[in-house]
Amino acid sequence: MRVVVIGAGLAGLSAAARLTEAGAEVTVLEARDRVGGRTHGIEVAPGAWADAGAAYLGDRHTELTALMAALDLKATPTGMVGDSRFELGHGSETRHGRFPPLNAVALGELFDRLAEVTETVRTDAPWLTPDAATLDTTTAADWLEGLSPHPDAKLFFPLFLGEMMAADPAAVSVLHMAFYLRSGGGIRYLNAFEGGAQQDRVDGGAQQICARLAAGLDIRLRRPARAIDSGPDGVTITTDTETFHADSVIVAIPPVLADAIDIRPALAVPRSTTRTAPGCAVKAHLIYPAPLWRDHGLSGWSVNAHGPLLSTVDDSPDGGPGVLTGFVTGAEAHRYAALSPREQRATAIAQAMRLFPFLPEPDGFHVTDWLGETYSRGCYAALFGPGDWTRLGPALTTPHHRVYWAGTETSLEFFGLMEGAIRSGHRAAADILTDKQRTTS
Amino acid sequence: MNVDGVIAIFRRVLEIEEINADSDFFELGGDSLLATRVLSGVARGSGVELTFDDFLLSPTPGALAKRIGAGE
Ligand SMILES: Cc1cc2nc3c(=O)[nH]c(=O)nc-3n(C[C@H](O)[C@H](O)[C@H](O)COP(=O)(O)OP(=O)(O)OC[C@H]3O[C@@H](n4cnc5c(N)ncnc54)[C@H](O)[C@@H]3O)c2cc1C
Repeated sequence: MRVVVIGAGLAGLSAAARLTEAGAEVTVLEARDRVGGRTHGIEVAPGAWADAGAAYLGDRHTELTALMAALDLKATPTGMVGDSRFELGHGSETRHGRFPPLNAVALGELFDRLAEVTETVRTDAPWLTPDAATLDTTTAADWLEGLSPHPDAKLFFPLFLGEMMAADPAAVSVLHMAFYLRSGGGIRYLNAFEGGAQQDRVDGGAQQICARLAAGLDIRLRRPARAIDSGPDGVTITTDTETFHADSVIVAIPPVLADAIDIRPALAVPRSTTRTAPGCAVKAHLIYPAPLWRDHGLSGWSVNAHGPLLSTVDDSPDGGPGVLTGFVTGAEAHRYAALSPREQRATAIAQAMRLFPFLPEPDGFHVTDWLGETYSRGCYAALFGPGDWTRLGPALTTPHHRVYWAGTETSLEFFGLMEGAIRSGHRAAADILTDKQRTTS
Repeated sequence: MNVDGVIAIFRRVLEIEEINADSDFFELGGDSLLATRVLSGVARGSGVELTFDDFLLSPTPGALAKRIGAGE
């Protein structure tokens, strides 16, 4: 059996590895000149890597954890010891722990409402959620307004959705928000570092998972797939320069990019709509000789109402330089991405120095703008807009002739996360193997 | 709101049944996000708005009920 996999991210590579183990002949076509997709490492000092893309994982990410063990990769805790810094509209403040200096009762009300709506979603079929019709046509921003929120809840909500899913509340449906939060383990799990989804990082960077998976596979770089033709005898995949023939193909790329491929016979249901928005995330890395904030009893964590850095985290590798990661998400990511490199640098450094006044000029500064990446078109993941789940959901994983679907956006479990990507790859591989058994027996 | 009312809120928010007047919220895995949900539950049930710092100083149903009593 021959299989072509389109996309050498976690999903495509996980599928390719499974199929290879099962004896299939697999070729992976990758548009970029590297593997890894939305996992990408930058070397911030000799031998020290920072994650420009996905970074964090937790215990519930079982497929990811198993894969790391099989590839001999270790997890390292995202230590969060010390006080936090906040700039939430009235100067900057230092507080113990991660709780922002906002009205706790108001935030509690907000989380109560979020927990309620999250619990109603059917993660096995979000479009069949009771009240899906309303939840799918309302944006998260309108939903919040409907709660007549306290000003502090209004301030915090976009920061929370930015952190959780890189979403501007005006761009996602309530159904997608609630689905995403439930699929990832609920608001508490997704929000937590220790005991939650940010407990650990991959020692040496998440891109290593992809690099190691790729080592045993037939990967063709710089080969964006342009067309897929399924016929009675097989499927043909066309790139700019070559054609590949196979029995089946797995499309393991984000939904908007899948729709850019000319698929024949045509799809009855597209992979995305005009409402499907890119997740909006830019990561900035500020590199210092050491994690200097720790000497001042600070964890490096901050939450800020004004950008560019809406939150900061200490991502310093063990024994290496100090790495302060700044997250620019949601609507702020669009503004920041439009600045010149010089302005990006100046505004990020100025904010870091306001938050941590003892910091010197950084030794290094890196910006990774995922909005501008032709072959990602947004991150952490695609955001399903109003109407999308109802329209796209039922066909999300349904094979089309010889075409199978993978990618974190096709996973109902841990949607948008590395774990979801891996599970989707394993599912697509299993679907192909099952279908093959059916036709040969 | 009495101790039993606070215990009921702890149970709902922590999703743990074994809670008594001396159970420490943070030792049972409660974090700051869940703590705000206790405070909103208290405010709805008693009309008393406590702060996050109040809760840190009185992290058990018994101690919290006393604070609520003082505020009622
Ligand atoms: C800034 C950021 C932070 C994140 N943080 C986390 C986190 O902390 N924890 C977590 O679990 N997840 C996180 N994520 C999400 C995580 O990165 C993704 O869920 C996961 O990597 C997606 O894997 P994938 O294989 O589905 O897609 P991708 O990684 O996007 O892989 C798709 C691949 O297909 C290629 N491609 C696209 N079009 C074509 C084409 N036509 N032909 C051939 N190849 C094509 C692309 O170049 C890419 O390599 C984050 C993402 C970003 C960007």
